[in-house]
Amino acid sequence: MQVIKVRKLFQRTLFGVFALFGFIGISTSFLLIDTVNSYLTEEYETNSLGIAQTIADSSVDILLNRDLSTLQSLIDQFIEIQGISYVYIRDETGEFLAHTFVPGIPEEILNADPTDISTVERQLPGMGEFVEVSRPILAGVAGAVHVGMDSGMIALQVQRAIGRQVYLISVVFVLGVVAAIWLVNLAAKPIGDVLTYAVALARGEEQEAESMEGVLGRKDEAGQLARLFAHFSRGHVSASSSDGAG
Amino acid sequence: MFTRRSLIGGSIVGGLTWPWLRASAETASAGVTDSEIILGMSAAFSGPSRGLGIELYRGASAYFEHVNRAGGISGRRIALKLYDDGYQPDASVNNTMKLMLEDQVFLLFGYVGTPTVTRVLPILKKFQDEDVFLFFPFTGAQPQRQPPYGEFAFNLRASYAQETAGLVENFVQVGRRRIGVFYQADAYGRSGWAGVRAALARHGERIAGEATYRRGTQFTATMRGQVELLQAAEPDAVICIGAYAACAAFARDAVDLGLRVPIANLSFVGSESMLGLLSEGRDPADADRYTSLLVNSQVVPSYHDTSIPAVREYREFMQLYNPDVPAELVTEQYMPFDYSFVSLEGFLNAKIMVEILRRLGDEPARGNLERAVMTLRDFELGISERVTFAEDRRQGLQQVYYTVVDDGRFVTLGDWEERFS
Repeated sequence: MQVIKVRKLFQRTLFGVFALFGFIGISTSFLLIDTVNSYLTEEYETNSLGIAQTIADSSVDILLNRDLSTLQSLIDQFIEIQGISYVYIRDETGEFLAHTFVPGIPEEILNADPTDISTVERQLPGMGEFVEVSRPILAGVAGAVHVGMDSGMIALQVQRAIGRQVYLISVVFVLGVVAAIWLVNLAAKPIGDVLTYAVALARGEEQEAESMEGVLGRKDEAGQLARLFAHFSRGHVSASSSDGAG
Repeated sequence: MFTRRSLIGGSIVGGLTWPWLRASAETASAGVTDSEIILGMSAAFSGPSRGLGIELYRGASAYFEHVNRAGGISGRRIALKLYDDGYQPDASVNNTMKLMLEDQVFLLFGYVGTPTVTRVLPILKKFQDEDVFLFFPFTGAQPQRQPPYGEFAFNLRASYAQETAGLVENFVQVGRRRIGVFYQADAYGRSGWAGVRAALARHGERIAGEATYRRGTQFTATMRGQVELLQAAEPDAVICIGAYAACAAFARDAVDLGLRVPIANLSFVGSESMLGLLSEGRDPADADRYTSLLVNSQVVPSYHDTSIPAVREYREFMQLYNPDVPAELVTEQYMPFDYSFVSLEGFLNAKIMVEILRRLGDEPARGNLERAVMTLRDFELGISERVTFAEDRRQGLQQVYYTVVDDGRFVTLGDWEERFS
């Protein structure tokens, strides 16, 4: 006897599970990229502004003492912080008093408006992409501190955060699919048994049908359906016998 | 890696003593035992600038050795506690904390470099009640010469501001007014840059162009980018504020790329090491191409000039004792020079240091150090300039010397007009 499997029901359910998890994964990733990107960029900007403010506050006395080597020493310490790529200080006339550029100050920064202290995005040839924040020194009358953050570093952090989330979602997806297959099989097997039993009865294969009688003992809907088939089958057999006798 | 070693021993009785110092002297001062006065030194004994620390140490050791063999100071040997900082600020800070808190040295002596010393000065201020002073650092930067940290250090050498001002003044006098600056991207480079900027401003000029390099750059590195930046500014001369490996690399690439202008270097560069790098493996004519336009400022006279008493003494002691750096500190190959400007500076530093220690009397105390230094007025060091310290003058020498390369060695420059006009 060939056991009949409930393929269509299984395929549809599995497709549904794929579609559902796929939708959850993709929509979560998009939301995550946006959230992490915004959050990390904001955090880097806030930190950089804090660093710029610290340097600006510390620079006042140093600048008034005209001690540029100490000023340089000060900004050199901040350049060691991860994500901070460059620091420079311009005085109120726009002259560069200290900076961390090697081998020289990039043309774009040389030509930048010295009075502009808004946050700007810079693409510096040979160096990369940066977000630059600025804070005034002594309310701007002594110049400004500019701190450049590596946009690539922020992007890398975003990628790492997203990578971890996608990994988690993938694991949940695989586990979900495996669980779905198992549950569908669990649900489909009795139905397949009933179908096999019903086909055997319909074909008059009584021996095969008797071997499937276990399904008649089930207390669930599959058992009820099997018993119903058996009932109809016996009625059909009985009716056939009467017809033959008359 | 930190390595240390006490070095020099000996004892001496006598010397000058100052009654007020003896009267106020404390006993059992930190860093002083019955047999030793311990000085702490953190310097570059490894890395691309190791030649500076090694030569400075060798020069100082030659004089200390002489004093110790003659009996020391009031019966106490002068001992140096050495640490290698590789010319790195963080290591220098760690070494200083170790010298002050663990080794309890009497004073700090012969530190090398601006980025290192600049970071150490706040420590001295933090522990100002302990009266720990830094003596004669090998840097001409301003932070240890002015408030808020000037009171914690004593300098012997002229400052970078004096060196750069002298170079600018001489270049301007021979008609070279467009001056570019090549400098180390740190506190040292900035100090020299500021000196050039201020000197040029006095002549109504600005820095014509500038280029930087990272501290620790080796001679093998290319300086093409830096040379091209300066070439674009069309300078009449370039002043370099750096260490010998990078400055030699710059001079090499400048010549190779056709930047044929005088290239000046400050005393910190380590002239002999620089010359060695530029000349090594070249025949004299080829080496001359790379060195003929060099002009290096110095803060000590030429060690070739044996008419100077201190130079004769220096050469004699260097020959006699030929000091070696302790084996534990030697991590990279280095061939010491018989004589050098840096070791002569170390020698003169040690000579003044010994004089100050003698003036502390039989019971040296940190608390008396400053007053002992202030007693040095018109002190005969054995060079053309006498040494004077005062409350408002914490730098003993002011003179700057200029040297150029002739016949494969640095000699005193006689006539700027003839050489560079």
